[in-house]
Amino acid sequence: MNQGRGTMDEGRRTAMLEAIVDELVAEGYEGISMSRALAAAGVSETEFMAEFTGKDNCLFAAYDELTGAIIAKAASECDASHSWPERMRSGLQTLLGELASHPEVAQAVTRSFPGVRPQAYERYVALLSRFEPFVAEGREYSGLGEELPSEVELLAVGAAEAMIFGEVDAGRAGELPGMLPEILFVLLVPFIGPDRAAEEMKTAAAIG
Amino acid sequence: MILDAFVCLCAERGYAETTMAAVAERAGVGPADLRRHFADTEECGVAAENASLSAVMVAVARSYDPDRSEVDSLIAGIAAILEWAAENPAYAYFGFIAVRQMTPAGVRAVYETGRRTLGAMLERGRDYSHVPVRPTGIGCAVLGAAEAPIRRELASGRAERLPLLLPDCVYIATVPFLGQDEALRLMARARARIDRSVAVPASAVAADLRHTTPPPA
Repeated sequence: MNQGRGTMDEGRRTAMLEAIVDELVAEGYEGISMSRALAAAGVSETEFMAEFTGKDNCLFAAYDELTGAIIAKAASECDASHSWPERMRSGLQTLLGELASHPEVAQAVTRSFPGVRPQAYERYVALLSRFEPFVAEGREYSGLGEELPSEVELLAVGAAEAMIFGEVDAGRAGELPGMLPEILFVLLVPFIGPDRAAEEMKTAAAIG
Repeated sequence: MILDAFVCLCAERGYAETTMAAVAERAGVGPADLRRHFADTEECGVAAENASLSAVMVAVARSYDPDRSEVDSLIAGIAAILEWAAENPAYAYFGFIAVRQMTPAGVRAVYETGRRTLGAMLERGRDYSHVPVRPTGIGCAVLGAAEAPIRRELASGRAERLPLLLPDCVYIATVPFLGQDEALRLMARARARIDRSVAVPASAVAADLRHTTPPPA
């Protein structure tokens, strides 16, 4: 699905994407009111149709840009001079903070959008895969390299996702930052085992 | 037949766009006949998820043998779940994907019960663990870890590849409790089990991306 025709200036396009996400979270996919979203964004129907092919095109573009921004922010906090576990902790801390600060975005990313239909869910699967390169260095750090499972990166991401999803789904996105040590443990344990992961969990808890 | 039609439609178009009329047409029954069994798609969903969980629990229960070690029973149980999912791709899509993120609270409640049960079973690894410090709820996180590649394969229409995930699933189910050395040893044992059970060893299977669409009922 294309991302838009590039006719709308960036500010108005961002406003349009945010407005449709707000509609999705508040009303569900079937309840999305394009007239309401357009009014909230200050975008005319003519401008909208010049940029997007329809509701779904706009919604999918919003999801891709929203999740891209989240990943970019988490990655920006990873200082290359730090050890791999430290970078994982920093990136995870930023991610959890973003989700906690914007629970409606967390809800949209994990449930409202993926639940629309299978094609939307495939975007969610792709989103999880986009985290794999960030954890992949764990193979080398572990000293085990290719001895580790072929899917170790996705196993680690999946473990963290399960804990994050559970809290967001229960309306407890605000509690995610406090769960950093535990989520860090499950993210690291497939690479470095429970003893070393427990040490990193204790360090994260001490840093606070 | 009705539930077969329901889960196939959910896999094709998602739960929200699966209507009772479509279910009736796919199942080859009249709308009135359908409503005699299920009032709405939520009731269909609850029944489908209960059917899936029952099948999984039976498969796991059959894998436990008092004459077999607990870890060998664990490996057999995980293999049984993956094989069930590969043989029932539409039910697996519904149980692993649709229920979690596409269905209303009533259907998700059934899923949550199953998830907590399987998570608690995995938590039994604590009984064999030397590691004193671990987060609570590690069983459900481990389950989520194993489910991630399963969901990826189901979403991509590659359910037939699920049994090949056995080594990875065994590793993640055991590493938090038994440590890496033992988890890697058990992963190798799981890999050998696959190599014995297929004509072509798992290590030689080409990474093709053949799409497999769930068959209609």
